[in-house]
Amino acid sequence: MSAAPLLVVLLPLVLAAFVTRPGGAGRLARAAAPWAALPALLLALWPHPPPPAEYPSVLTGMRIEVDATGHLFLLLTAFLWTVAGVYARAYHAEDPARPRLYLFWLAALCGNLGLTVAGDVVTFYLFFALMTFAAYGLVVHAGGGAALRAGRVYLVMAVLGEAMLLSGIVLGAADAAGTGFEAFAAAVADSPRRDLVVGLLLAGFGVKAGAVPLHVWLPLAHPVAPTSASAVLSGSMIKAGLLGWLRFLPLGHAALPGWGAALVALGLAAAFLGVLAGAAQRDAKTALAYSSISQMGFLNVAVGVGLASPQAWPYAWAAALAYALHHGLAKGALFLGVGVAAAARGSGRLAAMAGLAVAALAVAGAPATSGSLAKSALKGAAAQVPQWPAGLDLALSLAAVGTTVLMGRFLLLVWRAGGSAPGPAAGLAVPWMVLLGGVAGVLWWVPGHYQVELGGGYGAGGWVPIWPLAAGGVLLWVLVLGARTLRVPPERVAVSPGDLVVPVERGLSALRRAVAVKLPAAPDAPGWIADRWHGIYARGEQEGRAARLERRLGRWGAAAALFVAVAVALAAALAAGGAR
Amino acid sequence: MGGWGFWIPQLVLASSLVTAVVIFGLPEERHRLRGALNLGGAALKLVLVAVMFAGMLHGVRYEARLPFLPGLELVLRVDFLALLFVSLSAVLWLVTTVYAIGYLEGSPHRSRFFGFFSLCVTATMGIALAGNLMTFFVFYEMLTVVTYPLVVHRGTGRALRAGRVYLLYTLGGGTLFLLGAVWLHTLMGTVELVPGGVVAPLVATHRADLVLVFALMIAGLGVKSALVPLHGWLPVAMVAPAPVSALLHAVAVVKAGAFGIVRVVYDVFGVETAAALGVLGPLAAVAAATILYGSLRAMAQDDLKRRLAFSTVSQLSYIVLGTAVVGPLATLGGLVHLLHQGIMKVTLFFCAGIVAETVGVHRVSGMAGIGRRLPVTMTAFTVAAFGMIGVPPLAGFVSKWQLGLGGVAGGEGWVVAVLAASSVLNAAYFLPIVYTAWFREPAAPWPARPDRARWEAPGMLLVPASVTALLVVASGLFAGSPFSPLGIAVRAVREIYGG
Repeated sequence: MSAAPLLVVLLPLVLAAFVTRPGGAGRLARAAAPWAALPALLLALWPHPPPPAEYPSVLTGMRIEVDATGHLFLLLTAFLWTVAGVYARAYHAEDPARPRLYLFWLAALCGNLGLTVAGDVVTFYLFFALMTFAAYGLVVHAGGGAALRAGRVYLVMAVLGEAMLLSGIVLGAADAAGTGFEAFAAAVADSPRRDLVVGLLLAGFGVKAGAVPLHVWLPLAHPVAPTSASAVLSGSMIKAGLLGWLRFLPLGHAALPGWGAALVALGLAAAFLGVLAGAAQRDAKTALAYSSISQMGFLNVAVGVGLASPQAWPYAWAAALAYALHHGLAKGALFLGVGVAAAARGSGRLAAMAGLAVAALAVAGAPATSGSLAKSALKGAAAQVPQWPAGLDLALSLAAVGTTVLMGRFLLLVWRAGGSAPGPAAGLAVPWMVLLGGVAGVLWWVPGHYQVELGGGYGAGGWVPIWPLAAGGVLLWVLVLGARTLRVPPERVAVSPGDLVVPVERGLSALRRAVAVKLPAAPDAPGWIADRWHGIYARGEQEGRAARLERRLGRWGAAAALFVAVAVALAAALAAGGAR
Repeated sequence: MGGWGFWIPQLVLASSLVTAVVIFGLPEERHRLRGALNLGGAALKLVLVAVMFAGMLHGVRYEARLPFLPGLELVLRVDFLALLFVSLSAVLWLVTTVYAIGYLEGSPHRSRFFGFFSLCVTATMGIALAGNLMTFFVFYEMLTVVTYPLVVHRGTGRALRAGRVYLLYTLGGGTLFLLGAVWLHTLMGTVELVPGGVVAPLVATHRADLVLVFALMIAGLGVKSALVPLHGWLPVAMVAPAPVSALLHAVAVVKAGAFGIVRVVYDVFGVETAAALGVLGPLAAVAAATILYGSLRAMAQDDLKRRLAFSTVSQLSYIVLGTAVVGPLATLGGLVHLLHQGIMKVTLFFCAGIVAETVGVHRVSGMAGIGRRLPVTMTAFTVAAFGMIGVPPLAGFVSKWQLGLGGVAGGEGWVVAVLAASSVLNAAYFLPIVYTAWFREPAAPWPARPDRARWEAPGMLLVPASVTALLVVASGLFAGSPFSPLGIAVRAVREIYGG
């Protein structure tokens, strides 16, 4: 029984080993691939949690454990991947590259499941890295320029994130007694390098969590992936960054009001900027990706509350969990719904829009939805930090106004895109409806599991007020009407997907041109990695300053000169020694 | 005298020395016999090393003292540090022999090649087992000389030029090392290699001499371990055949340099003494600079083997960096990388050789879509490349993890920054290869494999690459096991720091 978590995590990896093979084993693996997360889902729903397991020979000593935090993330991950897997089976029914997709799908799934049951920092990092690199294959699956650019930006950010994480984890673990999460977090709290470690961990996981300003890869990568992959990317994998924060940061161990306030500020900035940039998109999936950035901002706020005040941490913890489950499922449902709406016609299309509207309302925080529950928990937790201004509550409500506008805009975009090819609609619709059921199920699951922590929060079992929703609706109506009356051409209201990365890319290529013009002798001076990613070897090794030096060192005369110089220096040293 | 403790170290040397002598005497066309001799010798050596390993775990000590010159003994002694290097060499010699037999099938001068190949390993074994400084030097110079015919094996103009550069660099380095060793000898007589070092009594009286001796020795060894700016020969020596490059970069020459630095710091000077002399700081700085410089240069190479060569320059200095930072954890990181870098780099060179042999591609830019033609090869390559980047659970991660912890524990937190930067740079020059091989469309369809071929490449080439790739996974994944490279390194570190 104690081996069960590891087995359900490794099952996708075993399937991945066979999934591209021809023959019977390959066929079996491809048939099983969509269901690969099902055993993990059964484990998550099993009433008795498995005992922790230790594997001392593996890495620096591997610990696998399903605790309360991990359990919720395991449930979210397993459920979403199962639903999306079944959806993918229909979505990619005609795709000749399906085996390759499954390969990366299964590897990323293994990573995503594994990090929820990891019981120590190294195991977490192991599965996190596996997920990160495997997801590249999902991002670029569609092929073509947009996918490759998204993949490039994704990979550069991911590598930078991994490097920051590795440094942060090593610096933290150096003072820790063992690699368990508790020991690690406690050591970080007392570390002389605490601020550095906290900063590295926040940024390292922030890349994955889409935290502003590290979010630039997300609006490029999430929409360009196949729809089923977008759902798990934006619903589940993005939460791995959050789980990393929850596991590694000294939450509840130390009060870090400065970091807490900074994180809340960044979170609010993300919540508003995500809405602004998202509402200016013309592609429904890109708007959803920006919505994810915006919603992850709310989760930033929860983590910020916990960082600022250990007393508020239990409430912030429950709020973060509730919010993660709610947003993961709802966002997954929105992404999958885009594909359903595109494949449906007639009354089916109306039904699809209705389902999307329900999920959108949940994200916007309408009463009696999971969103309202999660937002109320978050506000309750924020109220637990006494020294913070009451304006935070209002800011969260205003952000919810923005969310409503963005969701409305998204629904309009889906509606205008129209239904297209008649697809195997049932294969898409059934898993999607199961997922919508799951969004509703949050209302039952969360209060049942976190009664205490939520009860102490924002009015027991209460909902957030309805006015942000109403205000958002009115604002959306005004905007749409205004744009129509003033005849604003749609291309006037547009933000390039990836926002900040566009000027960065432009700046870098300009820089590269400038450097190339002014210093033709040193084209291989260290430049920005992504920029050089492909160009460098296509261009071959041009004769740069470093290359010239290298060539000289490669001449035999250089060796002779080098050693003559050393001999002279030595003789001088000896003479000096003799004189003394 | 006598007993297994006396004979086994000599037999370890003899298993390749005798092989070499017999092979030189064999007519060129006796390919099967030569192959059998090679593999037999390599297998025998592996068994002997396994016996030593088991004996060491049970407290048996191995030492052989042979009279050499008046007043000088040739001493072979096995400690865990030696065992570390010996195990690596024995394992990789076996797989590289298999690979070399497959690689050189049908080419001329194989007797010459395999004879020197065996001598090369003999010298490496001697370096590992050397129990005093002069024994070390003898084998170190022997290695220089016997590797030359391997570097110039192809006999082309480029190869001869590379050989000349190689000889000048390494003989020059050997001379510097000899100067240092003789200087030290005049100060204190025979220098035994003992954990904790032997020069401590001289610190008070001969401080300046010791600093200069250290500088001479490290400069001499730094040539082989390719410390910048003494690395110039290594990228040039890439013209050698793939198995030579593999052995050169993973075990023999460069490792001899790195291992020598480890010996000098821990067993000649002693890490505390060296720290007191203030010589470790500059060494760490040179190592850090080499790590970053090698990576930056690697990014600019389109020739696959050259890119790998600069990667070696960079990766070797992890070992030096771990050695130059005081403290058991840093030492552990450096020593474990001695093994990890070996198995990872040998895999990469094996794969580069397969790519060159089967489809004739030598450049990264020419590898578009090659994963479809050579899936197993490129999988092995990808595993090793990710290992180099330091992605868990592969071997390179364990190295970086230990080095980072060691850096912090030794009060040198900047080591972590160097490691992080190096990881990013490693990703920047390895991931494009992986991307090109798997995700780019080939410019033209790859030549199909021959009809009667069972696998994508000859088994003699493919199996060694797969085996070493599996080792990369296993030594990282099961690092916690006492028989992993980390497990052996832990014992070596205990020996060095006592307790």
